[in-house]
Amino acid sequence: MPLLAIETSCDDTCAAVLDGAAVLSNVISSQVDHARYGGVVPEVASRHHLELAIPVLDAALAEAGTGLGEIDSVAVTAGPGLIGALLVGLSTAKAIAAPRELPLIPTDHLHGHVAANFLEPDPLEPPFLCLIASGGHTLLAGVTDHRGFEVLGETLDDAAGEAIDKAARMLGLGFPGGPELERLAATGDPGAFSFPVAMSRDPGLDFSFSGLKTALVYICRDLGESETDDRRADLAAGFQAAVVDQLVTKLGRALDRGDWPAVALGGGVAANGPLRLAVGKLCEERGIHFKQVGRELCTDNAAMIGSAARFTDPLPYPQYLDFDAFATGPRGSR
Amino acid sequence: MSEVRVLAFDTATDDTVVASIDGDRVAFERTVPPEGRPLHSQALLSLASEAADALGGWDGVERIAVGIGPGTFTGIRIGVATAAGLAASTGIPVTGISTLAALARSIGEAAGTGPVMPLLDARRGEVFGGLHDAAGAPMGAPFVCGPEELMRQLGSREGVVPLVAGPGAVRFRDELLRAGFETEPDGSSVHRLAGRPVCELGAMAEKTGPATLEPLYLRIPDAQLWLERDGNSPDANRN
Ligand SMILES: [Zn+2]
Repeated sequence: MPLLAIETSCDDTCAAVLDGAAVLSNVISSQVDHARYGGVVPEVASRHHLELAIPVLDAALAEAGTGLGEIDSVAVTAGPGLIGALLVGLSTAKAIAAPRELPLIPTDHLHGHVAANFLEPDPLEPPFLCLIASGGHTLLAGVTDHRGFEVLGETLDDAAGEAIDKAARMLGLGFPGGPELERLAATGDPGAFSFPVAMSRDPGLDFSFSGLKTALVYICRDLGESETDDRRADLAAGFQAAVVDQLVTKLGRALDRGDWPAVALGGGVAANGPLRLAVGKLCEERGIHFKQVGRELCTDNAAMIGSAARFTDPLPYPQYLDFDAFATGPRGSR
Repeated sequence: MSEVRVLAFDTATDDTVVASIDGDRVAFERTVPPEGRPLHSQALLSLASEAADALGGWDGVERIAVGIGPGTFTGIRIGVATAAGLAASTGIPVTGISTLAALARSIGEAAGTGPVMPLLDARRGEVFGGLHDAAGAPMGAPFVCGPEELMRQLGSREGVVPLVAGPGAVRFRDELLRAGFETEPDGSSVHRLAGRPVCELGAMAEKTGPATLEPLYLRIPDAQLWLERDGNSPDANRN
């Protein structure tokens, strides 16, 4: 009983086929065009999604060795995300499902990042704490059952990945900035410059990254252009350490406050090596399980959407014909 | 026409326009106007399903036709993505139709046999337009421009003066009048895209298949425009 899942909330066009918790295929077509613009341009992303949606879907079916005739439900990201991008995936999914009178499962993108951990092999059972950090979102999710999660803390301004991209840009690196910043940081001294330990004195679990960004602007200004250029590695190392430090500090604080037996990561920033190391160390100290899914399940993908869909109420035909996408989700519990 | 049972829709303008035909008979035709914003995402698939039902269900549909623009970018994509999804799901041949051609055919049907200049409101003080015959066949390339360039385009036609109508003509009524072009009163149905012409052009289209679904945006994304014009991108001078 395979399920087809489609995800187009940002700049990756994704389709996957799942059989229960087993991923039969997980196709991700990353749009490389955005590097030219130094960021994701919604109109450019939406145009690409429209070109790629059917080919990516065909590839996912072919790779899974199945056809639409065998699919028995269609899952799709309904939000949050770029509205124009979401509408391409949603329109496609609805139109695929309707003539076959298949149920449609509109899925929450963030629930997807959590649900990536429910997939084979070695699915993680709730309860656990999930830190989701990417270019679009940064939050701590308390997961007590498969059907949703509670937002324990979230960013009050920039997302962690957004801050990293901006810092990378200031240091003359390309987009997306994460991998390049990480590479440069590996050769630098994280203690060479002092970055503010943002929000660490704030007793809550919320994040803030705009102060770090501002700090980097001032440091670069004081150093001047050539000195900044000479010290790029140290600046990258310091900035990255400050981001990781804030994420891990808040994660530790959340662990203090609840009885969480496991920690998981989701989102593009979760692929960051130093972050994984620091979270691993934290978990080891506390004697709790650290669940790490592969990179292709961390960054945006459709398998995670299919996974979340397994724990989301399907809309039977024809109830979803007028279903619309949403750009921003409700805060708090989902 | 080899395929006579056609289901068609267009969401490139603010109206959600859907129809189906069985030969000369209109089986279904409905337009949902915007309510503050276009209702494409909510209205399109319900109406398309009804239009299919009017032909006896999806098995009774021999061709799907969709307006590919020009118009609003998001509207175009909702229509094209829906058509592509329906075609992938059912195996029904699909064909893309210029929204301007469909509007030209609407206008021609209501008012005469001469050449037609359908105009869509392109916002930002511009129109989408293109010269067509009264049946909707293009007589020139589609364009996007401001009123001055539009009057130049219209004025360059010696002899037969094209009939000017559509939402873009309503938008620039004063400029058109000053240049000597009259257009019907604002509320006239001649200015509105109807579903049947999209069906008819769909039935006549020689080509079907995914390649015909290439959107007719007529504008590149703003970000690309700035990048090409000013190099105003952080990465522009590193390529
Ligand atoms: Zn994401």
